[in-house]
Amino acid sequence: MPDAAGLSFEPGSPRDPVFIGVGELESGRFPDRSFIGALTEVAMRALDDAAMKPADVDTIVLIPNLHSFDDQADLIFSRMVEELGLSREAKSSFMVHSGGSTSDNAVRVVSGLINSGHAETVLVLQAERWGSADLSEMVTMLTANGIPQEWERASGLTFNAVGGLITQRYMYETKSTPEEMASVCVALRKWAQLNPNAMYRDRELTVEKVLESKMITDPLHALECPPLADGAAAFVMTTAENARGRRDAAVRIAGSGGCVSHYTIAQETDLATMGWKVAGDRAWAQSGWKPEDLDFAEVYDSYAAVTTIASEKLGLCADGEGARWFASGATSPGGDFPMNTNGGLLSAGHTGVGGGMALLIEGVRQLLWAAEPERQIDEPRKCLIGGTGGTYMDAQVLLLERTEQGGN
Amino acid sequence: MSEQALSGLADAFNEALAEGRLMIQSCNDCGKPNMWPRYRCPYCQSADLGWKEASGKGTLVSYSVVRAVPPKGFEDQLPYALGVIRLEEGVQLLARLEGDSEDGFDDYECDAAVSFSPHPAEEMRDRPVAWFGLDSGEGP
Repeated sequence: MPDAAGLSFEPGSPRDPVFIGVGELESGRFPDRSFIGALTEVAMRALDDAAMKPADVDTIVLIPNLHSFDDQADLIFSRMVEELGLSREAKSSFMVHSGGSTSDNAVRVVSGLINSGHAETVLVLQAERWGSADLSEMVTMLTANGIPQEWERASGLTFNAVGGLITQRYMYETKSTPEEMASVCVALRKWAQLNPNAMYRDRELTVEKVLESKMITDPLHALECPPLADGAAAFVMTTAENARGRRDAAVRIAGSGGCVSHYTIAQETDLATMGWKVAGDRAWAQSGWKPEDLDFAEVYDSYAAVTTIASEKLGLCADGEGARWFASGATSPGGDFPMNTNGGLLSAGHTGVGGGMALLIEGVRQLLWAAEPERQIDEPRKCLIGGTGGTYMDAQVLLLERTEQGGN
Repeated sequence: MSEQALSGLADAFNEALAEGRLMIQSCNDCGKPNMWPRYRCPYCQSADLGWKEASGKGTLVSYSVVRAVPPKGFEDQLPYALGVIRLEEGVQLLARLEGDSEDGFDDYECDAAVSFSPHPAEEMRDRPVAWFGLDSGEGP
């Protein structure tokens, strides 16, 4: 790949693409909450947060769901345009999809549309009903998708086994103990307890509880596997010019980096690094930022090792020390470097493709200084969002910064 | 190479498994081994691809034991172990692991030497997957 060019967005330029509002519904099991109803509600929450109405939106970008192909078809064929009263007003409505890293790639797509003038204001919508779906059906669906049918499917590979393979190699290379791995889940739970939208906000977790839970896919215990959840999230992006005056700040993109390292997990040649080092280096090169510039990070955490590997290879902590870093309390509420302040997928809930979306909007919300007071970090200005999809096929990094209205 | 449907890509690999052999797709132009089978060589993009028999020796990059929540059809296999194997030819594949000396999986560890373990033809036709076990250290 050629060296990364700098972004064409300039801070303070009229067409600098910015986040101006976010919306979210509570994660968990809500069998009576309808899919389209959830999307409509979360759309209105994000628009209210942006001080906008549906008529301000010219483009809708859909994040896929994984619970139903019928519901997927409703998304693809523009049902949300009608639901929001935008028939003939909307220029475009379409889906972006790369599994767990979709929201990161959606930000790339949307910022390009806005900066180039193809769109003025874009509403990005996501909802999932994984928590209410039949678990064995979802496991079988996940085994049938993303694991090549003519090659690895006959092995009986599951996504929890993919997590097991990564965790086993990570623990071997870093000499991290089961207690240290479990403590990552405990650190995430402490944040979830401060998040009213988190699935497990009311349940305390200890290292002992994690290690006493049933072994699912060695070395992962049941409480180290992500809980499938219903959820919904949305955000609004527009030009810096349109954002002005709507609220006291917006969030801009300082740079991004990505690395697609494999399709099937068995083809990953470095299970304890994956794409994170390369993706991070590309993001630092594009932005001119260093890890020390960051105030906090929100990094995909469907399994503890996914986050500890990313934290190390992105330079957020010392190499090989990720699990012990989480265990030290450094990333927990009150710690030096907050990580996954919504509780992450492991404690806020794995809402399918929405897991990364929830982390992304939590990062934006923190930079807007709009999180609930007990969870709000003290006036943060810069954050890193890390996402990954499929069998951790890619590593995606977004570097976001707060920008005050009128200050540019 | 003749045109083939997607589901035919691994036919030669699967047929060899039923005969007790482990094959690696290999480029007839640049000579590089490639796994899993593809339509073009990922190194030189040649369409002239063939197969070579693997030595069957490799190292265990990582492994996991599935004890619960299996895909449909694998309930009667529990518990079963999966491993990422790096063959000495340099390519990797996902494999099932044999039970160890205690018929569990406690003897396995990352970077252990492992070797291909042929299974009966009938089983391979039903569920074509390579099996590996801890290397006994004896020559072939």
